[in-house]
Amino acid sequence: MLTESFTIGSRTAPSRALFGPHETNLGSGRALSDRHVAYYRERAAGGCGVLVVETASVHDSDWPYERAPLAADCGPGWTAIVEACSPALVLASLGHTGGQGSSAYSQQPLWAPSAVADAVSRELPMVMEDTEIAVLTAGFGTAARLAMASGCAGVEIEAGDRSVLRQFLSGITNQRADDYGTDKARLLREVIAAARAAVGDGLVALRLSCDELAPWAGITPEHALELVPTLDVDLLTVVRAGPYAGSAYRPDAHVPEGFNKALCASVKAVARCPVVLQGSVVSEAFASSALAEGGCDLVEMTRAQIAEPALLQKLRTGAAPRPCVLCNQGCRVRDARNPIVSCIGEPRSGHELSDALPVDGGSGEVLVVGGGPAGLECARVLALQGFSVEIREAAEILGGAVLDAALGAGRERLRALVAWLAAECDRLGVKVVLGHEVLAAELSSYSGRVVLATGASARDTGWVDARDALRGVLQDGPVLVHDPVGGPVGVSVAEKLAADGREVRIVTQDPIVGTLLSLTGDLADCNTRLQQLGVPRELKSLLRRASGGTAVLEDVWTGAQRTVPAAVVVDCGPRLPREELYETGMLRAGDCVAPRTILEAVLEGRRVALELGA
Amino acid sequence: MSRYPHLLSPLRVGPLTLKNRVVFSAHLTNYAEYGKPSEQHAAYYAARAAGGAGLIITEEHSTHVTDWPYEKLIHGFDPAVIPGYRRITDAVHAHGVPILAQLNHNGGQASSMFSRLPVWAPSPIADPLFREVPKALELHEIRDVVDGYALVAEHCVAGGFDGVELQCSHSSLVRGFLSPATNVRTDAYGGVLENRARLLFEIVAAVRSVLGPERALGVRLCGDELIEGGTTIEEAVAVARMVDATAQVDYINTSIGVATATLYMIEASMQVPPGYAMFIPSAIREAVSIPVIGVGRFKDPVQADRAIAAGQADLIGVVRGQIADPDFVRKARSGSAQDIRTCLSCNQECVGRMGLNRWLGCIENPRTGREAVVLPMPTRRAQRVLVVGGGPAGLQAAVTAAERGHRVTLLEKADRLGGQVPVAASVPSRAEFLDITRNLAAAAQRVGVDVKLQHEATADEITADAPDAVILATGAVPARPWWAGDLTQVVDVRDVLEGRASPRGRVLVVDELGFHQATSVAELLADRGCFVEVATPGMVVGQDLGITLDLETWNVKADAKGIAQLTDVVPMSATEGITLTLQHHPTGTDLTRTVDWVVCAVQQRADDALWQALKGSLFPVHRVGDCVAPRRAHAAVIEGHRAAVAL
Ligand SMILES: Cc1cc2nc3c(=O)[nH]c(=O)nc-3n(C[C@H](O)[C@H](O)[C@H](O)COP(=O)(O)O)c2cc1C
Ligand code: SF4
Repeated sequence: MLTESFTIGSRTAPSRALFGPHETNLGSGRALSDRHVAYYRERAAGGCGVLVVETASVHDSDWPYERAPLAADCGPGWTAIVEACSPALVLASLGHTGGQGSSAYSQQPLWAPSAVADAVSRELPMVMEDTEIAVLTAGFGTAARLAMASGCAGVEIEAGDRSVLRQFLSGITNQRADDYGTDKARLLREVIAAARAAVGDGLVALRLSCDELAPWAGITPEHALELVPTLDVDLLTVVRAGPYAGSAYRPDAHVPEGFNKALCASVKAVARCPVVLQGSVVSEAFASSALAEGGCDLVEMTRAQIAEPALLQKLRTGAAPRPCVLCNQGCRVRDARNPIVSCIGEPRSGHELSDALPVDGGSGEVLVVGGGPAGLECARVLALQGFSVEIREAAEILGGAVLDAALGAGRERLRALVAWLAAECDRLGVKVVLGHEVLAAELSSYSGRVVLATGASARDTGWVDARDALRGVLQDGPVLVHDPVGGPVGVSVAEKLAADGREVRIVTQDPIVGTLLSLTGDLADCNTRLQQLGVPRELKSLLRRASGGTAVLEDVWTGAQRTVPAAVVVDCGPRLPREELYETGMLRAGDCVAPRTILEAVLEGRRVALELGA
Repeated sequence: MSRYPHLLSPLRVGPLTLKNRVVFSAHLTNYAEYGKPSEQHAAYYAARAAGGAGLIITEEHSTHVTDWPYEKLIHGFDPAVIPGYRRITDAVHAHGVPILAQLNHNGGQASSMFSRLPVWAPSPIADPLFREVPKALELHEIRDVVDGYALVAEHCVAGGFDGVELQCSHSSLVRGFLSPATNVRTDAYGGVLENRARLLFEIVAAVRSVLGPERALGVRLCGDELIEGGTTIEEAVAVARMVDATAQVDYINTSIGVATATLYMIEASMQVPPGYAMFIPSAIREAVSIPVIGVGRFKDPVQADRAIAAGQADLIGVVRGQIADPDFVRKARSGSAQDIRTCLSCNQECVGRMGLNRWLGCIENPRTGREAVVLPMPTRRAQRVLVVGGGPAGLQAAVTAAERGHRVTLLEKADRLGGQVPVAASVPSRAEFLDITRNLAAAAQRVGVDVKLQHEATADEITADAPDAVILATGAVPARPWWAGDLTQVVDVRDVLEGRASPRGRVLVVDELGFHQATSVAELLADRGCFVEVATPGMVVGQDLGITLDLETWNVKADAKGIAQLTDVVPMSATEGITLTLQHHPTGTDLTRTVDWVVCAVQQRADDALWQALKGSLFPVHRVGDCVAPRRAHAAVIEGHRAAVAL
């Protein structure tokens, strides 16, 4: 069903998979760029059914992030995307983030229904008066007309994660005494009407938060069920998001696949239009069964198509798509640094114009030393290019450090990526030798080319290495997790050990745990989970030493020392490259160059393979 | 005879003759566009040259593709930068001021986010901020690094620079090599100081050979890294001596701290006493024969003049001082130093915006960062403008309007100007914040704004007066949180600072703003002997103090003053006593605090009564600042300026 076409109003989508609107930072100024076009083109070519372009602000009072598209500047970009993306249906996402925006770029006050500060930015917005409301509604109309003139199949109105329309719908953010307060859906209806008047026979789609996860005043599923039948739209994407909902809109793998399924089915039962299931749907199996059960008509698979641009095409031909592992490490780019949207398993995503594709024509033998993500990706791409490839891996199984990382709480899905890489290598005829530690002498006698992907080793701290702890090699007694990095590892170790019933605490030099997780959206959540698990967070503290069942911690600001129970210390600090086999000039990739993340391993493994093929 | 004989005297620096001792030292601006210098860069530096700076040193130019720690870095290694260089140097030279480019490779103080390449460093030791393990440089890569510096020096020569400064301090590969904390190599580039300094000297030699004798070469050294096992003053002096001994370097610039560990000392806020870093140039100056630059919190010409007179340095870096007022030197020279818009060392819109990847601005200078945007010509027809409210928004509106030729009257209901600023600045450690409205009040007087104090404007009066335009800047009033009921011992921060309430005993400060309000009042009350705890719904108390580099000093002081901190809690109810129930939202559990007073640092309410009464009048009515939505001072200043320009 997923791969079959589907008719929405006057238009037909080539498949039932939707590519949802998301921040890419690919823009040029506030316009859509060539990079956007290339990015969307690949997904359309891969069989995407409905492609919703990155949300454009309908008025310049909204400038939520530096490269946020502005509808008035998007005409040429929409046209180019439409031309590049046939036969996918291209919808222009139109929005205004209201009080959830940023004044940093516009240097103007934020607009919102009421003087309620956003929970994250703490910036107080200006209360919209009739003038601003009229401007906003007109802005949606003007933007929708431009989108249609640019060839779009229609528009999607944003009333989900960050939206002034949702803020009007919600009792948390709308405390107005006028008509827009007593009838909280009034503005949304007016905006839909304005869009409807502008699109002619085109589509008006809506992305609607049907649960703000704040039942005391926010939008609840009950509200949504009342509201939805009154709305004149052609397609409805059901999401959950709200001022206190944090990462709930597009969470990482700590939340199960397709978490909105029941909510979506209940909305579908009352909706007058086709309904899209959104929220961490990454597998064909889940999508197809959700469709078969009838609780939705289409499925949003955004991250799945970031990880695998050719998702639908592969499903049609029975090939295995590269899995999205819901890590949010490469694709969640709502960050002031403006990172480019990408994917740990498919680093070419977002870089379609600069990163080459494998070309056939390689010949000769290549030995890849190490079967972690760097080695596997290198071998895969070498094999694709026609090389005859052999991987020698010291362990009895392929996957490298990822296998251990995947033992951490909420990280199980990571295994799917190395499993896919290993299966692809197998399919492409890569020879794999397991349980074989390569020695320098062996390399000197090897006649073909060699690529090192030997990974990293633990630094010498005298403590238990995180990988060993994840594998369960841990003596009894209270555990202290030492996490100077603040990435996903330390948290997942602490959570796993706590879930295993161990007494655990985590120490960091930072004022909060998991500092680097702001990028994945798990920062607040991981601190919450640790507190719920009763894991004491030893914040703003350095681990000075540990012995005899206790550890000495030192306050980073004051230097004051204290002791905490610690029969075992697990070190989640940075690792060291394994360079034993390296000699100047050799090819290498991933952690053995510098221990980093899967993204760099895959990127470099592929780069080396492409260099050899060039 | 000048009042600043030392500061305003010329000095030879290698082949250059500087007209005075004021240096606009290197600092990031985020003005680059796609790796290239922008028009804004040229306009920005030109404004400081026009204002009389003795020497300008641009922000850093990256010397290699492996170096791309933040998005808007100038890719000096790309020859495409040369036209942009030329635009900058022409604009600055038009004012007869020399300009150098700062050359840098940030080394391990970076991530691969933008470069998509491994980060390079002496040893595989992750930086404390970026936390990415770098690749230890191989020997051929060290040669690439040196070549990169030479290449960028060539680009700088082609682009018209008068020389270059090598960044070897707070964030740099050279610093990484010099510092025993980050260099654990065992080859010729690690170990004894001579080895750790080898890269520096290879770069000096390579760059000098590109520059030739007619261009200047400077080296910026860190005098104290303020990190465990890092460089200290003894080694810094030893390196300076070695630099001097090469006879290839024309001056030494100094700094303190490591950008990714101890930034709060590099760009010290008003919490750090002025002159705090002068032990560094003082020590180096005694050891070398070339001129030495001292930097750090120089805000007025007297202070800078004295430092030179005292022999602490030959030149003084005035960075934020000239970000705030480009005409710093011109005003000092013309005897109107009192007109200098003194920098507050608040770090809100300069440093604060850098960390967030935004263009550099200034809280009190709405033109900083916007120099390339030409203002519309002032109108011919002078209008009669009425400004209501004398806080930063109203003052800025009045000053800009008067500067643009309008006749301006400003009505303020209190008996002093400044709005909430004097209140915020009444806390001892925040005193310098007062300069924002002190500067504006002085400017208002200078440009002839008719200021009427203790005049509470009414809608009827304004309507009767019917001016050509009204700008409302009526500010904000404290709003009582819903849970406070009518408990008299639950008060606002402003009640305390404005003297309406004097809490004693146990005090809970509720911080919903995450900025100076809560921490200031907490300090003040602790100083008065109260037992203070600050509670916040956020994950950190005073979260935004991190942006202005005040979090470190706050935490140290909080500890010294016995102030407790409680995070992740939301007030649920308060009863006589006072017993406050707080919900710990991550776990959903309630906890209580019984205290004598609760002080609220919460969102205020816009005072928009006049706006509601006057909007739709026959004459144009504008509103600016907190009466639109209560926010921070920069918004008030920008909006006041914008409204006045638009008249
Ligand atoms: C926003 C900002 C960015 C800075 N970036 C750099 C830099 O890239 N390189 C450098 O050598 N110094 C940099 N500095 C440090 C300044 O050169 C100077 O040492 C520091 O601001 C103290 O001087 P001041 O008190 O006069 O501002 C920066 C300073 C500021 C305010
Ligand atoms: S923002 Fe503050 S610290 Fe920065 S230059 Fe302006 S007044 Fe000085």
